[in-house]
Amino acid sequence: MKSLFILAILCAPAAAQQPPASAPQTAPPAAESPVPSEQTWLTGYIDLGYRWVTGVSGSFDTYRSVVDLGSGPKMLGTDFTIKDPKHRLFDAIDVRAFNWGDDPYSTFHLDAKKVKLYNFSVDYRNIAYYSNLPAFADPLMDINGVILNEQSLDTHQKMSGAHLDLWPGRWIVPYLAFDHDADTGSGIATFVSNGNEYPVSSLARNSTNNYRGGVRLELSRFHITLEEGGTTFKDDQQLNQSPGQVNYGNFFTPLLGQTLYLTGLGEAYGVRGSSIYSRGVLSANVTSWLDLYGQFLYSQPDSNVNFQEFSTGTQVLLSQVLFYTGEQSLVAAEAKLPHTSGSFGGEIRPFRRLRVLPSWMTDRMHTNGSSSTQQNLTGLENGATGSLALDSLLSSSLVTNYNQAEVRLMFDLTSKITLRGGYRYVWGNASDVVLPVSGLGSLDQGKIRRNVALAGAVWRPFEKLSLNADFEGGSSGSTYFRTSLYDYQKGRALGRYRISPSFSLSVNASVLHNHNPTPGVNYDFLAHQESASLLWSPSGGKYLTFEGSYTRSTVRSDINYLDPEFLTPETSLYVDNSHTVTALIDLKLPGVLGYKTRLTLGGSAFLSSGSNPTTFYQPTAKMAITVNKHVDWVSEWRYYGFAETFYLYQSFHAQMVTTGVRISR
Amino acid sequence: MIRRLAASLLLLFPGWAALAQQAAPATKLTYVGSQVCGMCHEDIGKAFASSPHEAVDKGDKHGFAGNACEACHGPGSKHVETLSAADIRNPAKIVPAELDRTCLTCHRNQPTSAGRLQASHARNAISCIACHSVHGPQALVVRKAAAMNALCESCHFDIKASFAQPFRHRVPENAMTCVDCHNPHGSFKPGLMQTAGANEPGCFNCHGDKRGPFTFEHAPVREEGCQSCHEAHGSANAKMLIRQEVMLVCLECHANLPTLPNSMPAVTGVVPPAFHDLRSPRFRNCTICHQKIHGSYVDSNLLR
Repeated sequence: MKSLFILAILCAPAAAQQPPASAPQTAPPAAESPVPSEQTWLTGYIDLGYRWVTGVSGSFDTYRSVVDLGSGPKMLGTDFTIKDPKHRLFDAIDVRAFNWGDDPYSTFHLDAKKVKLYNFSVDYRNIAYYSNLPAFADPLMDINGVILNEQSLDTHQKMSGAHLDLWPGRWIVPYLAFDHDADTGSGIATFVSNGNEYPVSSLARNSTNNYRGGVRLELSRFHITLEEGGTTFKDDQQLNQSPGQVNYGNFFTPLLGQTLYLTGLGEAYGVRGSSIYSRGVLSANVTSWLDLYGQFLYSQPDSNVNFQEFSTGTQVLLSQVLFYTGEQSLVAAEAKLPHTSGSFGGEIRPFRRLRVLPSWMTDRMHTNGSSSTQQNLTGLENGATGSLALDSLLSSSLVTNYNQAEVRLMFDLTSKITLRGGYRYVWGNASDVVLPVSGLGSLDQGKIRRNVALAGAVWRPFEKLSLNADFEGGSSGSTYFRTSLYDYQKGRALGRYRISPSFSLSVNASVLHNHNPTPGVNYDFLAHQESASLLWSPSGGKYLTFEGSYTRSTVRSDINYLDPEFLTPETSLYVDNSHTVTALIDLKLPGVLGYKTRLTLGGSAFLSSGSNPTTFYQPTAKMAITVNKHVDWVSEWRYYGFAETFYLYQSFHAQMVTTGVRISR
Repeated sequence: MIRRLAASLLLLFPGWAALAQQAAPATKLTYVGSQVCGMCHEDIGKAFASSPHEAVDKGDKHGFAGNACEACHGPGSKHVETLSAADIRNPAKIVPAELDRTCLTCHRNQPTSAGRLQASHARNAISCIACHSVHGPQALVVRKAAAMNALCESCHFDIKASFAQPFRHRVPENAMTCVDCHNPHGSFKPGLMQTAGANEPGCFNCHGDKRGPFTFEHAPVREEGCQSCHEAHGSANAKMLIRQEVMLVCLECHANLPTLPNSMPAVTGVVPPAFHDLRSPRFRNCTICHQKIHGSYVDSNLLR
C-alpha cells in the first residue's frame, strides 16, 4: 500500500486526471459487469468496502462544502440483472445502486420490462448539500467582524420517481409518471431587522410532487404526444432563536445610544402551491420533402402563503427612529403564473442538397401576486406609548413576452461539405411592477430587439477527420439587462481526427464577445476557451489506455456601475484565466503471484489566476486485483487539495483510502 | 435555380413535391429478409436478436416484419447478388441528415423529437448513431450515469473541464448526468435545456424551492434564467457564481438611475438606496439581507 501511495503521489503533478469520479462505478472497463451467460437468471456485481478519510487539514467547512466524503463502511455500487426465462411477470429487471453508506450522494435505479406490455422504471437519489462558505461575500469578511456562518445549510435532497409505459412499441402508448422531490435539513439564515441582521437557526422543509400522464400516438406519418400534469408544492421553512439568548447580529455600534440585539425569534412559512400543465407535441413527415413539428405548452402554477413571525429584543424602526422591544407580523399572500409557450417549424427539402428550416416560437408568462401584511410593534420607547400597527397591501406583476423567428439554410456543397446560414429575429418586452411603489420594488420596463446572423460549416474530408464551425453574430436595439447579450459574436469550432485505430485527437475552441456601448453601461465581455483531448489505446487497450485533455479558459468582464452611497461611477473588472488538465492512464500489469492486476492513475488539476486565484488538485490511483472468477479486490487512493489566494482561510487538503471487494456473478 | 431557391422559402409551395422527386432507380430493388442478411452477418444478426430493434422484425407496426435490416439499410437484393458493400446503404457512411431521417421515420414521436430537426446536434451533423447503438446487444442508449456522462464528455471535453472546478454540480461523482439538465434531442429552451412542468426551466426539477411563483419575483430568474448569476457547470467561485463577490453580481445590473414614469429605461434594474455603504462588509454581501434573492413570498425587497 505504501508503494502505491508513493507511486500515486509521484504521478500526481504530471497527471492531473480524470474527474474525481466516484469509486467503483467508474472502475476499469475490465471490471465491468460480466456479460450474462445464457440461461443465467442473475448476473451482475456488488462492491463492498471501507473508506478512511485520513484527516482534513485546513477548513473543514470548506471540505464539507466541496467534497463531503466521510469514513465508514460503504456499499460502493451494485449493478445486476434478473431475467425470467419463462417471461411471466417480467422479462428482465435491471437494478443499479451506488454510494450507499452515508455518502453525500446515493442513487438507486430499477428498470423492469415485459415486451409489448410495459416498461417500468424507478429512480431514487439522495444528495447532501452542505454549504458554509463565507467567500461569496468578500475576502476581508473575517477580519471585519461579520459572523462568518451566515447563510449556511446542511440539507438532504431526496428525489424519487416512477415511470410506466404501457404497450410499448404499439400505435398507442399511454404512460403515467410520478416524481417527488424533498429538501429537508437545517442551516443558518438571517433575520433582517431595521439597522441590523441576526444569524439564526433555520429549518428547511420543502417538497414537490409531480403527477403526469399522457398518450403517444404513433402513426406512420403523424406522431402526437398529449400530456396532462400537475404539481403540488409546500414549503414550511422556519427560523428560530430560543428565548433568553442574546444575539447582537452584525451591527455592534450603538445606534443613538442603544445597542441593538435579539432575544427571541419565531418565523414560519406556510407555502402551498399547485400547478396544472398541458403539453402537446406534433411531428409529421407530410411528404418526402417536408417535415413539420410543433408544440404547445401551458402551465399555471400558483402559490398561497401564510407567514407569521414574532421577535423580541431591542430593535429600531429607522424611518421613524423608534425603538421597540417586540414585533409580530402576519402575511397572507398569493401568486399565479400562467405561462404559455409554443413553437412551430419544419424542414423543407426543395432540392436534394438544400434544406430550409424555418421556425417560430413564443413564450409568454405573467406573474400576478398580492400580499397583505399586518405588523405590530410593541414595547415602544422614545416616549411613545402602546403599540404601533403597520399594515400594508401590495400587488405585484411580472410580465414577459419573448418571441423568436428564424430561418436556416443548410446546403450540402459536396458529400463532404455542408454549409449553413441563417437569420434570427428576437423580440419581446417585459415589465416588473410593485404597487404601491415600495422600497426597491418599482415600475421597471424593458424590451428586447435583436437581429442575429447565423453561419456554419461541416467538413469531413475523409471518414477519420471531421471539422465543424459555427458562428453567430447579433446586434440589439435594446435588451432587458445591462449584462444581457447586446452586440455579440459567438463562435465555436470542433475538430476530430482518428489518426489510427488506437489514437484519436480532438480540438475544441469557443469564443463569446459581448459589448453594450450604452452610456453608463460600457459593458465589454470576452470569454474564450481552447481544449485539446487525446485518446491512445495501443493494441486495443490490451495493456495500456491513456486519455487526457487540456483546457485553457479566459473570462474578462468589464462594466461600469454606480456606487449606491454617492452614485459615483465605478468599474467592475472580473478576470479569470484558468488551466485544467485531466489525465488517466490505465495499465494492465502482468499477473502478481498469478493474479491479474489493473492499475489506474490520473486525476485533474485546475489552476486559475485573476480575480479569484484558485487551485484544485484531485489526483487518484486505483488498483484492482482479480482474486478469482467471482472476486476482485479493489483499492483506491484519492487526494483533494484546494487553495484560494484571497480567501486563505478556506483552503483545505484531504486524502482518503478506500478498499473493498467486488463480488460478481 | 434562383427561382427554385426563392420558391423554397415559401412554406407549402405546391410545386415542391415535383421538384423534390428523386430519380427512380434503374433496377427494381427488392427486400431479401433479415434471415438472409444473418447468413453472412452472423454476429450482427445474433446481437440484433437481443436488441430492442428486434421488435421491427417481429412486429407489423412499421411494415418491415421480417425485413428489419432493410428498414435502415434499404432493399438488399442487389447486395446479395454482388456481395459488394457499394450495393447496400450503410447508414454509418451516409450524410448525417439523411441518416437522421432514416431513424426519424419511426422515432418521430419520441417525447423529445419535436426539436430534433433544429437541435444543435442535428445542425452540427451529429447523427443518431453517434450516441445510439442500433444493432445491440447492449441497449440502444447507455443508461448508467457514468457511461452517459462519458459519452457526452467524449465530444464536450471542454465542459468536462468545467466540472474539475471546486464548485460544481455533482456530475463527476455521477450523482447527476448531463441529461438531467440537457435534452440531447432538442428543446425549445436554449442550450438544449430540459424543462419542468411543461415549460418551466429544468433547474426546478431539483431546485423545487426556487420554482415559485413568488409573490415578488426577481425578474432575471424568470427572464434570463439561472445562468444570469450562476455558472451551471462549475466555477471557482462559491455557489457557482459568475463573480467572486456577491456584490459584483448584483451591482452589475443594479446600477441604473431611476427613470421618470412612463419612460422606457435603456435596461432594467435600479441602483440600491444610499445607505448601502459598500465599504462595510455588511453591504458587500447582498444576500445576507436579501436572502430570498430568487424570489420572495412575503417581502417586496426579497429580504425574507
